Amino acid sequence: MNLANVFPMVGLNLVELASLLPLFILSFGAVITLLLGTHKEKGHFWAYASGLVFIVVSLIFAASNLFLADVSLLGETLVFNSLTKSLSLMILVFAFMATLLTYGKDQQEGLLSEIYALILFSTSGMILMTSTSHLLFMFISLEIMSLAIYVMVAMRRTSRFSSEAGLKYFILGGVASALLLYGSSLIFGASGSFELAKIKAYLLSQENPSVIFYIGLALVMTSMLFKVGAVPFHGWLPDVYQGAATNVTGFMGAAVKFTAFMAFSRIVQEIVFVSGGEELKWFEAYLWIVSAASMIYGNFVAISQTEIKRMLSYSTIAHTGYLLLGFYAFKAEQSSESIILYLYFYALSNLGAFAIISQFESKNSKDLTINQMAGLGLKYPILGTMLTVFLLSMAGIPLTSGFIGKYGLFSSAVQAGEIPLVVVAVLTSVVSVFYYLRVIIFMFMKENENSPVDYQSFKSATVAAIISVLATLQFGLFPKAIIQFVKVIAK
Amino acid sequence: METTLLSWIIFSPMIFALVALLSPKSFEGSLRKLLLVQTLVGVLLSLVLYSQFDGNFSGPQLLHLVPWLPDWGLNYIVSIDGISLPLVMLTAFVSPVAILGTWPQGELKKEKFFVICLMALQTGMYGTFLSSDVFLFYFFWEVVLIPMFFLIGLWGGKDRIYATTKFFLYTMVGSLLMLVAIFFMLKTSSETFGHPTADFFSLSQLRFDFDSSSMWAALTSTQSLLFLAFALAFVIKVPMVPFHTWLPDAHVQAPTVGSVFLAAVLLKMGTYGLMRIALPLFPEAAAYFAPMFVVLGVIGIVYGAFCALHQTDFKKLVAYSSVSHMGYIMVGLFSFQKIALAGSLYQMINHGISAGGLFLVVGFLYERLHTRDLREFGGLAKIVPLMAIGFMIMTLSSVALPGSNGFVGEFPILLGSFERYPFHVLVAGTGVIFGAVYALKAYQLVMLGPSSGKHDTDHLTDLNTKELVAMAILTLFVFGIGFFPKTFFGKSDVTLDTYSTSLIQKAGIYESR
Repeated sequence: MNLANVFPMVGLNLVELASLLPLFILSFGAVITLLLGTHKEKGHFWAYASGLVFIVVSLIFAASNLFLADVSLLGETLVFNSLTKSLSLMILVFAFMATLLTYGKDQQEGLLSEIYALILFSTSGMILMTSTSHLLFMFISLEIMSLAIYVMVAMRRTSRFSSEAGLKYFILGGVASALLLYGSSLIFGASGSFELAKIKAYLLSQENPSVIFYIGLALVMTSMLFKVGAVPFHGWLPDVYQGAATNVTGFMGAAVKFTAFMAFSRIVQEIVFVSGGEELKWFEAYLWIVSAASMIYGNFVAISQTEIKRMLSYSTIAHTGYLLLGFYAFKAEQSSESIILYLYFYALSNLGAFAIISQFESKNSKDLTINQMAGLGLKYPILGTMLTVFLLSMAGIPLTSGFIGKYGLFSSAVQAGEIPLVVVAVLTSVVSVFYYLRVIIFMFMKENENSPVDYQSFKSATVAAIISVLATLQFGLFPKAIIQFVKVIAK
Repeated sequence: METTLLSWIIFSPMIFALVALLSPKSFEGSLRKLLLVQTLVGVLLSLVLYSQFDGNFSGPQLLHLVPWLPDWGLNYIVSIDGISLPLVMLTAFVSPVAILGTWPQGELKKEKFFVICLMALQTGMYGTFLSSDVFLFYFFWEVVLIPMFFLIGLWGGKDRIYATTKFFLYTMVGSLLMLVAIFFMLKTSSETFGHPTADFFSLSQLRFDFDSSSMWAALTSTQSLLFLAFALAFVIKVPMVPFHTWLPDAHVQAPTVGSVFLAAVLLKMGTYGLMRIALPLFPEAAAYFAPMFVVLGVIGIVYGAFCALHQTDFKKLVAYSSVSHMGYIMVGLFSFQKIALAGSLYQMINHGISAGGLFLVVGFLYERLHTRDLREFGGLAKIVPLMAIGFMIMTLSSVALPGSNGFVGEFPILLGSFERYPFHVLVAGTGVIFGAVYALKAYQLVMLGPSSGKHDTDHLTDLNTKELVAMAILTLFVFGIGFFPKTFFGKSDVTLDTYSTSLIQKAGIYESR
């Protein structure tokens, strides 16, 4: 019996091993972090430090891997090319920021020290998910990611909303995962493969693909739309965003969204926007409606929110709508360049915004309302200005990275000829400007009369916010380098 | 220095803003002086620009190009020609006047942020007038929005938040549709030239489909949709009736310095945009829709005048007079007549001077008496003679008395448009009469007659040196332009001539069909 058949890793050469190294480090680091977190007094600190160190080491190896040759493992299941390697680099950046956000907040919210290990676990799931185009493997990595996130959401013991959110997310997320699994198996039944490339080949070769294939595709797409939080599969999102501790919300809004969207865009690029059968037009229409509905619903409902986290969670639904619009670039055979840029910029601003918000939340489980934020910008000018930059970036105002992202996304959709949806996006953006501005108005232009915020400074969260603000302005003013980079990797 | 002069003009306020930002707290008291120095540097640079500008040449001059994102067709291109020159000069001179005329008596809250906002505002205004790229134009157009939003929202009156939100959203609706149009033009240009580009010179070579066979065909043809997307953004800013409702609110709530900039420069961005982008790039569609815009312009003139006539709030009166006076520019632009087009450009400058001056007078009175109610003044001319004289001069300029600058703008517009739209001009002419009525009525209520006795006016102080200098500069321009228009606008002649000849010829394609 050949050993290589039992344990395929034996056959790895040096480059293949190096490509897997960031993942090894993350998983190994997660175990170490778990152990260090058991220290009686300083468990949180040690877990934080070890989590941070392992992410940085993994980041360094992931960055140096960019210079290595492309690798595909397990029979093309795991592919490490310049695109997937760069995406994992971005995910590691989000994990780094999320870890910074967590320290300090963990003790305030009664989060256990295991949260740092969970960040590492979910990060490794995310890296796997962006590195594969195999539907079954996608399901497995989705579960690795999601299980850790479910625990993180439910972990906030100071809030009664947290367990509700955790349970809700777990059950609905389970349904979505089941849909993905069932859908993939139907697609497998029709096409004989889990590989997106082979499914595409099947689709191009068939005159009339079987109905089973389309049912499977619909299920897979629905599960993905659930994960990215698009209308009408958004029901879980506001509650989960609100119930989770703010640092976890920031991590979800950035990293989970990024990962789910990258996987989704790969599916859409390979098997929806292809010149296949007429029936695929129905799926384009499906995306069109979901996109428009997300933009309209997310933006209009966000207006009437009184709590900032809930407002941002509805705005994230709207951003999902914009990103779905970006899929139309595939119709014109463009790359996912503009989607990656938008997601990356949005995730950074999002993390930054939650880094600021987390410092203004009171200890008792009440959420921060926009009314409470009155006068905040005047009292804490630096934090207030940073939050303003993030909100302006999310609103897509020039000089911030959000504008560049929105510009790229909308212009690629116009290039693809999808002008009506762009007009919808533009008009709903005006609505979004209104509620983002409202926060800025409250922070700088109103006096706080009754309920002052409990300001508790978290140094590491501030560091994360400063990194985000620098990135937001840097990419807003001098976006050339990152656009070039993303253009090259997305090819 | 030679080719980067325009960039220096645009970004020198930002350099000062950086200094202001990094200045220590003890410097807070001197920040206003720094702002004044910055605006004077702006004047100096604009004078250098004026001397370097070659009036015999109609094309863009002093070009400065820096590739920013060439792959996306986004470049930093600035240049100047005879149309933007007067507006840049206006911005340069209005800035120190506005600062001097609103010098605060006491401590102002958040002085540092205030100063930075005003500096950023100038960068945006210069940038809008100097950009030679549609995208860059849009960029600066948006940049202007943010400082103005804070100026009204932070230092404004009682309902400032309502006013500033309304101002922001109105402008945003227009400008985002403009952005979609820009995307489409980038797409077209990349199909035509092989690479995306959005500069005015390349775009002017594109011709977008226009079909006037039926009304529906005309409305849905590419050129019309693009034109309407741009025109909406611009007429909201102008503002043209019925998109004007943000203006009275914004003006009334804004601090005086904000009102001055808003009336003098920001409104001109709208008409400048029409003149620079909407008309020359989409001439046939513009000519097709021109009658509608002329009618709306005339309605604006008369409606604005009537509204002004019945205001008791002094600031609202001046705001509605702006609606009325900007109506002339709309009529002038859309009449597609050489004289009227030139008159429109002159009127942009002249309205900037007279409306800016009137808002300063409102500010003077408010600073001293803390009221803007016209019924609460009266008989002030004896007590504050200098202010009365300044007010009189601005009023005369506003009613377009021959010899004042207002005449130089309004007369050519009416003369030029008469040929084409005699009836419309007749109606607009009544606006001139009503304009005289409300302006003189305001003067009479404030300065003449018996004192209302509602306020202690006996100890009212007259203009101080700074305010006097501000009014003197404006007076100089009122009569300077009034008597010697050639001296001030001479350098624009060649550009205006080429511009209007080509525009009328291009628009004529539609009409000759």
